[in-house]
Amino acid sequence: MSFRKRNIGLSAGVDRAAIPNASAQPTPPESIPGIRPSPDDGRPTTSTGTPSLDGLLAGHAGLPMGKILLIEENGTTDFAGALLRYYAAEGVVQEQKIHVVGVPEQWGRSLPGLIGTAESLEKRSDKRKDERMKIAWRYERLGEFGAGIAGSRDAPTPTGDTDAASKQAAFCHAFDLTKRLAHPSITNMTFIPLVPSRGSPFVAILKRLQDAVTSAGPNTIHRIVIPSLLNPTMYPPDACQPEYVLQFLHSLKALMSAHATRITAMVTLPLSLFPRSSGLVRWIELLSDGVIELCPFPHSADALATSGAATSQEEPPQGMLKTHRIPVLHERGGGSDQNVGQDWAFNLSRRRFEIKPFSLPPAEGDKEAQDAPASSGMPKKADLEF
Amino acid sequence: MPSQPPLPPLLTSYLSSQPESSLTLISSILGATSNWLVLRYLYSALSTSNSSNAAIGFDESHNGAKKVVLVSFLRGWEFWRAEAKRLGLDLARLSDKKQFAFVDGLSELFCPPQTANAAPSPSPISAGFPARTTIPLRGPPGAVPGRAPVSALPALRNDNVARSPAELGVAKKLHFSGRGTAALDALEKDIIAVIEQLKAANDESEEVLLIIDQPDFLLAATGASMGIGATEMSEWVMGLQQTVHTTALTVAADSPLIHNAAASGNQQSTPVEGEHAAFAIGLAHRASSVMQLRTLETGAARDVSGVLRISRGGGLSGANGLDEKELLYYIQRDGSVKVFGRGES
Repeated sequence: MSFRKRNIGLSAGVDRAAIPNASAQPTPPESIPGIRPSPDDGRPTTSTGTPSLDGLLAGHAGLPMGKILLIEENGTTDFAGALLRYYAAEGVVQEQKIHVVGVPEQWGRSLPGLIGTAESLEKRSDKRKDERMKIAWRYERLGEFGAGIAGSRDAPTPTGDTDAASKQAAFCHAFDLTKRLAHPSITNMTFIPLVPSRGSPFVAILKRLQDAVTSAGPNTIHRIVIPSLLNPTMYPPDACQPEYVLQFLHSLKALMSAHATRITAMVTLPLSLFPRSSGLVRWIELLSDGVIELCPFPHSADALATSGAATSQEEPPQGMLKTHRIPVLHERGGGSDQNVGQDWAFNLSRRRFEIKPFSLPPAEGDKEAQDAPASSGMPKKADLEF
Repeated sequence: MPSQPPLPPLLTSYLSSQPESSLTLISSILGATSNWLVLRYLYSALSTSNSSNAAIGFDESHNGAKKVVLVSFLRGWEFWRAEAKRLGLDLARLSDKKQFAFVDGLSELFCPPQTANAAPSPSPISAGFPARTTIPLRGPPGAVPGRAPVSALPALRNDNVARSPAELGVAKKLHFSGRGTAALDALEKDIIAVIEQLKAANDESEEVLLIIDQPDFLLAATGASMGIGATEMSEWVMGLQQTVHTTALTVAADSPLIHNAAASGNQQSTPVEGEHAAFAIGLAHRASSVMQLRTLETGAARDVSGVLRISRGGGLSGANGLDEKELLYYIQRDGSVKVFGRGES
């Protein structure tokens, strides 16, 4: 009885005073690699494999367990696929079970190679490495958002030594897209093919997922990866009938809520085929816990993109990223996060997928455009006065 | 920032006084969900501590005496229990006391539970509706097994930790099987059974508030090919409405779901959109009040989560004395809600 009470109080996690007694953490103990309690309210989270995407998820510094993240992409590029590969690769490295739906096994062989922890990559690029303040060692393992609050609940590492810190199980790793992942637990991936059948093609998939999850032990963490949902090169034409796909997603949601501390899922959806203005896609979004839209810049915008970098060291953004819904936050009503409503730009380089605030470039070298209005359409000052 | 009362003062009058047999429609969109408002409804009906409601003296006798049945299609018991806990509402205890019942429309609506694997799939084509045969997994419908030992329930032998004692607060899990009105009737029967059971519990009050969270999902996920359209759904709601004192519904009102249907002439509108719009707008015409939740048109703000517009519906009782209002709300990090007028803070 008393155990239950305490458990509830923690997951509610309203006041931060109650948080530090980390001994009574909810179900998955911290010993499970790749799971850590959210700095925001203590619920278990896991990494998406992309540090800046973790940071975007409303202070949880990771994807909360039991949630579905939907990534939509406009155009013909495959940035969402890169995010998905990072997510799967992170799962492999953390020795979680990965279930990939609808693609052949080659997909699994194209996962990006491991090059260390995310933190080590960060350090390499961090020029201020040497002048790190003494206080910072407590926080460095945590994500960039909510780091301040998080520090208090993290058990202090025995020494301030960075080696000791890196020996700790890392939460997020860095991957290189040009390399291939070779990891002993890569065999943990299962590929669920689409079998042609009469009726819903999703029934068989769902059954396999259910069996896999229920037959695995209670300490196994699962990741469900669904690349390019409804893409006609993989799915039969009738898959996009609402009763099939919506029932599938609803059942997936049910499965995940039944095992809420053991599963996460990431789904990508090609928006060019299924536009956001259609009712079906809106229902798919409503059934997901998080919705992120990627809008890559067309090639004609390359000029903008190159001048868009604030400095010459930074890489130019390759597209805009919109957050339509964020797990947990919007379930409660939404709105109180400082990241919501920002304009985000993303950039995919060999080693990382980076999301950062978008800022319009200073109009450099745009002399003609500035001079032109005087002669053409712009009204003169006199016209504007009244 | 000072902590907010569980019930925002501006909303108390709307939440606590609904005329008999009234229908309240809550509409939400992707970025402005309605869960917080549903929780406020729960709180106003179930809470016994009247500290925040002192202003409306005559209503106090009703407060805490009401009973609530919550049917949720998109969210599980765990979510509602945890979020109600933040408001100081112990739903598990209340369901023990037969004041509250949760009907789970998420867990097993379309997928039969694991133990019933013999019947492989709820293939939409399978006609006929042997609905009741799959249900006994939860034991007899009457049993809201409060603190009953887990071993007493044969179905729970199923190995897993997921079947936590917390799930015992669930009064009923809905199953959808068969097609058309027959399938809806089966669902209706299940829900009414739970309502009757709550009414039968010894208590002086007979007032039951029924909250259905997103019945429109049921419509979207079945559709014409399974013989369910807006008309059938409206009748389904009407049938449930008859058995309770007041009803509140939440539906999605995203623009693709409402406005695409109106783009007449084009072949743009798909059945999902058309049926949804017909269902939602039909409900709004029958409702006595409509609470619309949406995000700010001008973009996101740091201290505003969204806009709440309260207006009269087209229903009969809608005409009398409801103050139409447009308010802003803000959900704080701890889940408490601040409701205020435009320009105030």
